[in-house]
Amino acid sequence: MKIALFTPCLVNQMMPEVAIATLSLLEKLGHQVIFPQGQTCCGQPMTNSGCFNEAKNTTLKLLNAFKGVECDAIVCPAASCLVAAKENFHEFDKSPEAQAVIDKLYELTEFLHDVAPVTQFNRPVAKKLSLQLSCHGIRMLDLAAPSEYMGPRYNKMEALLSRIDGVEICYPERLDECCGFGGTFSVDEGAVSAKMGKDKAQAHANTGADYVVGFDPSCLMHLDGTIRRRQLPIETRHLAQILNDAL
Amino acid sequence: MQKVIQTHAKAADIFCRDESRVDWHSKALWVLREKRDRAASSLPEWETLRALGSQIKLHTLNQLPGYLEAFEAKCLSQGVKVHWAKDGAEHNRIVHDILSRHGVKKLVKSKSMLTEECHLNPFLEGKGIEVIDTDLGERIIQLNHQPPSHIVVPAIHMKKEEVGDLFHEKLGTPKGESDPTRLTRAARAHLREQFLSADAAMTGVNMAVASEGAVIVCTNEGNADMGANLPKLQLHSMGIDKIVPDLDSAAVLLRMLARNATGQPITTYSSLYRTPKPGGEMHVIIVDNGRSAMMRDKLLGEALKCIRCGGCLNTCPVYRRSGGYSYGHTIPGPIGIAVGADEDDTHSSPWACTLCGSCSFVCPTKVPLDKIIFHRRRLYAERKSLPYGKSGYMPLVGRFMASPLLLDTGMAAARIALKILPHSLLKPMSGAWGKYRELPAAPGSSFEGWVKKNRPELLVKSKGEK
Ligand code: SF4
Repeated sequence: MKIALFTPCLVNQMMPEVAIATLSLLEKLGHQVIFPQGQTCCGQPMTNSGCFNEAKNTTLKLLNAFKGVECDAIVCPAASCLVAAKENFHEFDKSPEAQAVIDKLYELTEFLHDVAPVTQFNRPVAKKLSLQLSCHGIRMLDLAAPSEYMGPRYNKMEALLSRIDGVEICYPERLDECCGFGGTFSVDEGAVSAKMGKDKAQAHANTGADYVVGFDPSCLMHLDGTIRRRQLPIETRHLAQILNDAL
Repeated sequence: MQKVIQTHAKAADIFCRDESRVDWHSKALWVLREKRDRAASSLPEWETLRALGSQIKLHTLNQLPGYLEAFEAKCLSQGVKVHWAKDGAEHNRIVHDILSRHGVKKLVKSKSMLTEECHLNPFLEGKGIEVIDTDLGERIIQLNHQPPSHIVVPAIHMKKEEVGDLFHEKLGTPKGESDPTRLTRAARAHLREQFLSADAAMTGVNMAVASEGAVIVCTNEGNADMGANLPKLQLHSMGIDKIVPDLDSAAVLLRMLARNATGQPITTYSSLYRTPKPGGEMHVIIVDNGRSAMMRDKLLGEALKCIRCGGCLNTCPVYRRSGGYSYGHTIPGPIGIAVGADEDDTHSSPWACTLCGSCSFVCPTKVPLDKIIFHRRRLYAERKSLPYGKSGYMPLVGRFMASPLLLDTGMAAARIALKILPHSLLKPMSGAWGKYRELPAAPGSSFEGWVKKNRPELLVKSKGEK
């Protein structure tokens, strides 16, 4: 497939290694990857604060970067940015061109699980992984059945990772409780955010895993800052990095 | 209690200073969430029930006038008196009128968040009527001169030792007594005296059944029944949103109410009242107090599907770590923000949320709580009354993010700063982030920079890009 990479500002600016792993993994899987220029933020920091006027220009800039780009899918390794992009594109531009972009948007896990399924990995990864089920990914993108939901259980990240030889998967206590990042929540509500992050990081560390693995870079950045502050014996990794190592 | 005007963040910051208390509070509520999970998972049809519950409430809200009139007509035909109140003040006046006509000196009341919302207790006390809350948790906080901190377990913020001290002072239990069973026994004896000496009883209403002209009241302690069955005069206050069409629809909601609240299969006492007792009087007061105004906004109106199980409070990671008093309105937690944000003078409560969405999934009637909270923020932004200095800095963020050049140079500068400045210098600048966490390790370049250098053939320019 021909895939356009969507790297939200946080990934582009602060976690390029996640984007590089995503690129490398998609290419190893035989996809052709392109990188549309002029991408910026999805507008989430503004819309999450209620400031739709302030978000408009940013969102449309990002949308424009993908308009008319020839590709089969637009793939993003950041769940909450993807959700925001989808919603904000729709909010600010109701044209067929915008809809065409929206229809091609996929989060990485979703893409590898549902759209172009990866059934096999060829290199073992002998690590214990504690999975970070970030809220927007599970509750808005259906990447896993949330714990509150009593219907059928599914978990796309686990399904992908469990196809890797040697990987041991575990979960923290209160497995899908929010880590407390929440965008500007982390600065507006410093004390509660920090306490949530601390509880989450500790719960991951308590599993004895080597890595906290997740699909949402913002949660991982928050947890990473907490883990290093508290010097907990665990590190964060993006799903793309683990999958890339296994190919 | 006097209203304290401080932002949620400030109140939460104070609550968070005692970390062991936060852990205890968070755990006590999480235990309820776990019980809820077990109870909900024991019903294979749980998700079907939720869908049905949501439909029942939406259907009724969409045809509210018709159902309310049918309810009133049925009540009247059964000898029940019906009153309509447009707001809390009118509600309180009606209640006082009824009570004073009967010369009531002491009123026993069973848990009702609506009377809290209307501030009935202080109003009646000001008129010389003694009001006794008879739910154990409500009685505890009433003795402690506090409002409820949770809608189902109103005294959840108090430890048993604190209740012991309070009861020692107010009810004369032995000093240092903290055994819940013995404390409950003491409270029960005390409350029995109140029931026997009360002139009238008042309850909230969990559901009002239009086809029957009946109100349903759910309690675990039987206190509503103790109250309503003893004196001749009984009053029931309900919001207009409490109406359901018939007993079948009430049954659907009753199957979920207690399970989602505490994990019980059903509330211990679920009583229906529909006629006055011989020689007595039964009054139902139907209150609007802002509800029909809320319904004019389609999304906000969905908050009226709520059946007040408290499940969203128990699951909320922010509520559990900041406590019920941090929200600045009568009802705390996610549903509190949805229905009560306008009461909060600091405008900060809609930001007391990470938008994790757990509440919306836990809710038995599928109130889209996270969407409503998100919407509340937008309404504040449109009214230009944002908290935490957002009106000032958000336009700057907007401009910064909308400009790839600014974003690129700005972030490049930030990366360099992260690399070369000692962290002790950066931390004060990064505010709340650096206070609690390490700053991110800075990469050498952005991904875009990396692509330009290493894989320039990947770059494409879109037609939309100007
Ligand atoms: S909003 Fe839903 S979960 Fe929250 S109290 Fe109401 S019914 Fe219960």
